[in-house]
Amino acid sequence: MKENILIIGGGAAGMEAATQLQKMGLTPIIIEKSETLGGHIAQWDRLFPAFHPAKDVVDKMLDQVKDVKTYLNTEVVDIQKDNNGFHAVLSNNEKIDAKAVILATGFDIFKAERKQEYGYGIYNNVMTSVELEKFFRTGKDERINNPKKIGFVHCVGARDVKVCNTYCSKVCCTTALKQACEIKEVFPDAEVYTFYMDLRMFGPGYEDLYLKTQKDFDVKCVRGRVCEVSEDMDGKLVIKAEDTLFGKPLKMTLDVLVLMCAMEKNKSIDAIQQKLGVANNNDGFMQNSDMYLGMNNTAQDGVFVAGACTAPKSLPDTIGEARSVATQVYNYINR
Amino acid sequence: MNSQIFHPFVLPFVLGMAFVLTYCLVGLIRVISQLPKDDRKKFWRSLVTPKTAWANIRDLFGDCLFHVKIWKRNPVLGYMHTAIAFGWFMIIVIGHVMLFTLKPLQGVEVERLQGMFTNFYYPIFFKYFAEETPVFAFLMDFFLLMIISGILIAVVKKIHSKIVGVKRVMHFGFADSLIRFALWTIFPFRLIAEKTNIMAFWWLYSIDLLIFMCMLPFTRYMHIPTEALFILLRHAGIKVTEPRKGYVLAELYSCPSCGLCIDACPMSVNDKMSGNTSAYFMKKLRNKDTEESQRIAETCLMCGKCVKICPLSIESCDIKFSQRASIPYNINSDHSYLNVISTEAEKSSKVLYFAGCMTQLTPKIMRAMKQIMEKAGEDYQFMDENGVICCGRPMMLSGKTAEAKAMVEKNTELIKKSGATKLVLSCPICYKVFKEEYHLEGIEIQHHTQYIDELVKTGKLKVSKGDVNYVYHDPCELGRAFEIYDEPREVLENVGNLRKAKSEKEISICCGGSLGSFTLTQQERDEITANSVNDLMFNNPDEIVTACPLCLKTFARKSPVKVKDIAEVVSEKI
Repeated sequence: MKENILIIGGGAAGMEAATQLQKMGLTPIIIEKSETLGGHIAQWDRLFPAFHPAKDVVDKMLDQVKDVKTYLNTEVVDIQKDNNGFHAVLSNNEKIDAKAVILATGFDIFKAERKQEYGYGIYNNVMTSVELEKFFRTGKDERINNPKKIGFVHCVGARDVKVCNTYCSKVCCTTALKQACEIKEVFPDAEVYTFYMDLRMFGPGYEDLYLKTQKDFDVKCVRGRVCEVSEDMDGKLVIKAEDTLFGKPLKMTLDVLVLMCAMEKNKSIDAIQQKLGVANNNDGFMQNSDMYLGMNNTAQDGVFVAGACTAPKSLPDTIGEARSVATQVYNYINR
Repeated sequence: MNSQIFHPFVLPFVLGMAFVLTYCLVGLIRVISQLPKDDRKKFWRSLVTPKTAWANIRDLFGDCLFHVKIWKRNPVLGYMHTAIAFGWFMIIVIGHVMLFTLKPLQGVEVERLQGMFTNFYYPIFFKYFAEETPVFAFLMDFFLLMIISGILIAVVKKIHSKIVGVKRVMHFGFADSLIRFALWTIFPFRLIAEKTNIMAFWWLYSIDLLIFMCMLPFTRYMHIPTEALFILLRHAGIKVTEPRKGYVLAELYSCPSCGLCIDACPMSVNDKMSGNTSAYFMKKLRNKDTEESQRIAETCLMCGKCVKICPLSIESCDIKFSQRASIPYNINSDHSYLNVISTEAEKSSKVLYFAGCMTQLTPKIMRAMKQIMEKAGEDYQFMDENGVICCGRPMMLSGKTAEAKAMVEKNTELIKKSGATKLVLSCPICYKVFKEEYHLEGIEIQHHTQYIDELVKTGKLKVSKGDVNYVYHDPCELGRAFEIYDEPREVLENVGNLRKAKSEKEISICCGGSLGSFTLTQQERDEITANSVNDLMFNNPDEIVTACPLCLKTFARKSPVKVKDIAEVVSEKI
């Protein structure tokens, strides 16, 4: 029983699913469009809630898939289904036959330019959470120059009907607090503010992180959205926000403003997704067949989904889904 | 031909005519008596002022009889209206003229025929009582056939409106359907009666007229007599003040429910929303359905397109504003901060730039304007760089005039003390308020499209021409409200290639983001935006350019290509 299983996407979900499928005696094949495996998580420095190095997790995952057939810098350009299964054509013109397909295509980061009022791409010192994470990883960013005052804006591109995204992006709250602590570690004298709507501390240890952020790191959490950002003569950022707990508007000058960009559906897979007959849900992510019992299944037989391609998900969520998709595929092959 | 001067079949017509004339007279007195005193004076004066009197005559013929505006939009519909209105008018006129060309008939003296009472019905049933002279007979038949040809088009339009280029039509109740049926049959009955002289058709003809005239006041056909009054009142310069009173009453009854505004309305992207169009609003308000008319008044985007394309230029947006103002909204605003703001000018300069709150949310526009003004070497200052007082428009839109006034006064003080001779605005919403509600004597008010155009034309700003294909979207408050159509287009032609949108200038489609609407949901707005973007993408431009921060933000959500403000486009080319 050496059936091929085509996994599109070599991030956390794709790698973990491949690991499990291989243990089950199937032949997973990973197609990854970038030059390395690991996806977004490989770009991350440390993970919430316990500041665990992301590299540890990624390295373990990479080690597990070292024997899995993997195509890097490759995309699926065409895919057909017949009675024998799926027939995919890759961008290197290779053809692959598979019994099942797992879409593990993950997410894209919301383009912060779309919220022009926050000034990303206009004012130098406005950056995204992804760029800040890169700073933690590399220690280099021209914008971060011994800042005295730093602000974080939550929900950029999430829970915002004006950018057509009404969903919660799930992980940005905890990430913001994690990053707020980390920047405080690097610049202990800096004042750090976060501007939130709600703080959704949904997982184990997350609420503890929230308390720690305030008690140990003296980060100030302000309930209220930032409405405008402008630049003063010295190139510092002037933000206007509302503190809804005090019921007062506030104005503040900052050295750096970090935008907590939401997850959006990865649209580069749209054409293949359409060929496979998988629809999108209201949030623009892929539609699975049932929220509870069919979270890895789609309306199409033999096409499975795992990870953040169906909704914003944390790393533990994604790994859980990757393991469950493997079971689903196994059952499908042996039905 | 019968040598008598009376037959009972004329009675239904006489009855109907007497009713409708009485009704119109009472209505006329009611409208005029409800006008505010000053407006009434204006009205009487306008009737004897040569300029307005000439405009009256021109429009009474042009609009009521020839329907020039409908011709411009849709020649088939234009012909339909002209055929019926002008044809009918000519039949009445020629009928009366014929009375004086009568040959004496057997046993009846001409004088008796031309008497007061007979005069009332005689021309209508002329052929029954007397013989026409050949020339008149031809003219009468000609105009009768003209009317019937118009009615034929009306029947086709009813069966399949798309043939005559109308997508959506009004849905009518029983009364409107019945009177329409009466109108359609009057003239065929007349033709048959005249040609066959069968008594039954003379009766049918007369009864049809009775039905038509008795139902006229209670249906959309009331627009026929009211239109004339409305034209006179409008030329007198009377403005909308209260909903459902005086002048507005004349407007309400002048709306013929033709439904041209339905296809034009940006909300008509689906069936449900097309019920929010002005034609329905006017109908509901006329029928005193306050709940529905209030609902529509609050939903409307106030883009003004229906007013521009209305064959009668009925000011439906103004009526909607007056309807809104009749309801006190619970807005508790605190404007005490106005007192703390210092009005002492830090420096004085010729040009004062006011970005406005919407532009504060699109900092790219502000940055582009700064670059442009600096490059052009302008002596300028930024009025609201560190905080902004609202221009007052949102409060006005919700009918809160006192609150709006407080802001207007503070801003006026700030502007006057700045010593500027020119005020430049980036937001068309502000522009409208500054133009209409502020008294800034000696200060030229410009939107940045005009300002940039002037800088380019006077040579102060040198721009280079690229090969990007732009399409320009006319913001409602800049285009339809002030007819600033050419300046932005000339600027764009200087920096790139201008492509045309499907609907441009006065018929451009609202972006869907308008502050005018209080109640449209985001999904409904998105549908409107998508439709408007499609219209702009008609000639596959590389970039959509607009001149309003709100349009910019709205389009950016849905556009397949880059959306930029005209200031941004120019700042890239200097």
